[in-house]
Amino acid sequence: MSPLTRIRRIVGDQRVVLTLLTVGLFLYFGMKNSAFFSTDFVIYPLLRDGAVLTVIGLAQLCALSIGHLNLAVGRMAAVAALAAGASYQYWHLALIPGLLIGLVTGALLGAITGWMIVKSQVNAFIVTLAMDFALLGFVTFIYVTFTGATAAFTTKPAGMEYWRNTSLHQYCIAGHCGPRVFPMMLVPAIIALILVGFMYAKTRMGRELLATGSNLRAAKLSGIPVDRRVIMAHTLSGLLAALAGVMLAFTNGSFTASIGSQFMLPSFLGPVLGGTLLVGGAVQVLGTFIGTMLTLVIRQGLSVQGIGLETLNIALGLVLLTALSLGQIQKMFTSIRMRGRT
Amino acid sequence: MNTELRIEKVSKSFPGVKALNEVNLTMKGGSVHALLGENGAGKSTLIKIITGVYRADSGVLKTNGEEKFFNSPVEATDAGIAVVHQERNLIPEFSVEENITLHHPPTKFGIVDRAERTRLARQALETLGFDIDLNERVKNLSVAQMQLVEIAKALVTNAQIILLDEPTASITSGETIKLFDVIKRLKESGTAVLFVSHKLEEVYEICDTVTVLRDGESILESKPLSEYKQGEIVDAMVGRHLADRKVELRKVNRSVEPVMQLTDIHTALGHEKISMSLYPGEVLGMYGLVGAGRSELARSVLGLHGISSGELKLNGQVVEIKSLRDALHKHRIGYVTENRKEEGLFLDFPVRKNISVTILSKILKKLGVISFQEEDSVSTKYVDRLGIKVVDNNQLAGTLSGGNQQKVSVSKWLAADTKILIIDEPTVGVDVRTKASFHELIVELANEGLSIILISSDLAEMISLADRILVMRDYQLVGDLDNSKDYTTMSRGIMTAIHSA
Ligand SMILES: Nc1ncnc2c1ncn2[C@@H]1O[C@H](COP(=O)(O)OP(=O)(O)OP(=O)(O)O)[C@@H](O)[C@H]1O
Ligand SMILES: [Mg+2]
Repeated sequence: MSPLTRIRRIVGDQRVVLTLLTVGLFLYFGMKNSAFFSTDFVIYPLLRDGAVLTVIGLAQLCALSIGHLNLAVGRMAAVAALAAGASYQYWHLALIPGLLIGLVTGALLGAITGWMIVKSQVNAFIVTLAMDFALLGFVTFIYVTFTGATAAFTTKPAGMEYWRNTSLHQYCIAGHCGPRVFPMMLVPAIIALILVGFMYAKTRMGRELLATGSNLRAAKLSGIPVDRRVIMAHTLSGLLAALAGVMLAFTNGSFTASIGSQFMLPSFLGPVLGGTLLVGGAVQVLGTFIGTMLTLVIRQGLSVQGIGLETLNIALGLVLLTALSLGQIQKMFTSIRMRGRT
Repeated sequence: MNTELRIEKVSKSFPGVKALNEVNLTMKGGSVHALLGENGAGKSTLIKIITGVYRADSGVLKTNGEEKFFNSPVEATDAGIAVVHQERNLIPEFSVEENITLHHPPTKFGIVDRAERTRLARQALETLGFDIDLNERVKNLSVAQMQLVEIAKALVTNAQIILLDEPTASITSGETIKLFDVIKRLKESGTAVLFVSHKLEEVYEICDTVTVLRDGESILESKPLSEYKQGEIVDAMVGRHLADRKVELRKVNRSVEPVMQLTDIHTALGHEKISMSLYPGEVLGMYGLVGAGRSELARSVLGLHGISSGELKLNGQVVEIKSLRDALHKHRIGYVTENRKEEGLFLDFPVRKNISVTILSKILKKLGVISFQEEDSVSTKYVDRLGIKVVDNNQLAGTLSGGNQQKVSVSKWLAADTKILIIDEPTVGVDVRTKASFHELIVELANEGLSIILISSDLAEMISLADRILVMRDYQLVGDLDNSKDYTTMSRGIMTAIHSA
């Protein structure tokens, strides 16, 4: 490969462009207002939110990989957080066992959703939309019934503060301590990124999921158990949504019905900006993280500028739409190149 | 003025390949021009440049003296150029009628004139002598019927220049004869026709002039076809002399237990009383006209549609196959689909991943991790063996030429190491040389003990490859012939079986 083509390929990689854009915007906002460089008030929370939203992006990515959507990611996160919260409140479980209960709940919800899609042959869009409504009712009902006016489980398991508020700074090796901006919350997100990335890049399961997304009929004719793969994709989606839900509850310090209500849009933005195809068959796991960080930098940057809430929302929406359509246009070109043979 | 389309020094590159290199071609009204070349030679690319699908890197296009490239397929259509692309471009959810009149729906006051539309579509199909229900949705048609609709769609436009990219690849001789009648009529009325095919007999029957492409270069440019013998044309395509392959009679031992036996099979699709046996190491051919129900039988037996009564035995055991997955993993039966684009390929996967998809379970390391090294070596093996033209085996399957896509779609099943292989139209759109090496490979596999059911509409292929030929008509078996591999007697025998009541 000549150096020129190599450079062209690097510049053509959506992830590189996104990273440059993210860093560029970050510096730009920082230069306009140095408060933006504040470790404690801006960067640390930004990364902590980024961790949560990356995981919810991965949840959506799993559904996207087979060409489906999961419109219930937010509510699955809410139910999982509810399960974990209840287990802390009533059974006084330790942090990890409670987390596990949350994860199992999410995975089960995902599996049920996947099963319903396979059995009913109804589009995933409709099924997850219905699921979202059903779960919304369920979550509100439970919180109100059990906790009355507070509408929250507030018992904090030991160790919650550690995940919420501390950073790698507390770990030192031979006098060198980790950076203070690195929230502990990033650790589960990174683990999720590695595992999901590994699965799609290297394993048979990942390959079969992508094959199912790329061409369902061909996958079926090649002996891939497509029904089970569909269920698997939704199970993983539910599991990751659960992780994101519990992570958000830890960040907030309480388990409430509103957890996950802000998840839907970011869950698409991360993967899609990062280069995951909406039609299935191709995923960009690392891109999901970068895409998520980009949206967060834009949001935080604008709010530090002191832009009012309404203006902020409008600006944010516009920026995201532009970014999305740019990504979409780029994708159109790639797919024309790919499927150029009409 | 006489219709004329001229291409001068047209070049086109894709990443890693020079698909066309200073190609020249002149086609004239009242004459049929053959465009020939091996898979990946650049034929389809040239057609797409003429019709504005791709933009040429350099060169000139002159239509009736006017020098300009079309910027889009619409412009080309408006200039009186109709095209049948190699890959079908029908809208599956639309009816036959809607598809045929898609580009120029007749209108009255801006609203589609349905009666007129029906008339046009019916007329197009009637001129072609094809019998297809106008209201059927295209997705319910067989591959061959779709091809016929595609041809009708090009003909309704009354174009002065018609480009046909392998129109006969997936239809049988009966429909081809009808198509040729129409082409002859078009020719008499002054239309210029470009005809791409890998079947040289057809080319000699219908074409007047010829252009041969090899690796993107025009080796013969718009020459009178009658000046060349078939062998010379092949040599021009391949670039060296290709020896005739001799056909050999194989010995199949039919005194042992059949590997697969059907007794009195009936299906919901309409098959009646189908009984047949497949012996170890046998190549069993199934011939029939379009719509005879051959692929449907295979798919029913393999659990895609299911059978309503009758008995299926594998190695003497009565079994029921519930799904293709069952067929593959439990019984080691593979099915190579005739429909490569919709069912055979992952177009946005690289060639490597397409070939390995049936053998993932065999190339695993610990923790379900795929061994990329083995994946690479398996795919490279088939790429070499079938001469699949790729930049490397990471090239996306969707960017291969049609014939090369077909090879990939077949490769994954050759790699799967099955006991029985049902191959549906394996050499559709595959060039002469590859066809030969592909046939060798099939015989080799059969000699190693693989039992093969070959469904093919290519009579010559059937006769040179099968040990025994079953003839099917209207979802029933109407003939069972031992193959002497002598073309004249066999083709007569088969035709008698098809046409006798
Ligand atoms: N969109 C594309 N992207 C990259 N390479 C392409 C693309 N389209 C065609 N090619 C390459 O251009 C070359 C010529 O392809 P083309 O489809 O014109 O061949 P062909 O002569 O029609 O072959 P066949 O007989 O198999 O249909 C091939 O090497 C093919 O891989
Ligand atoms: Mg072609």
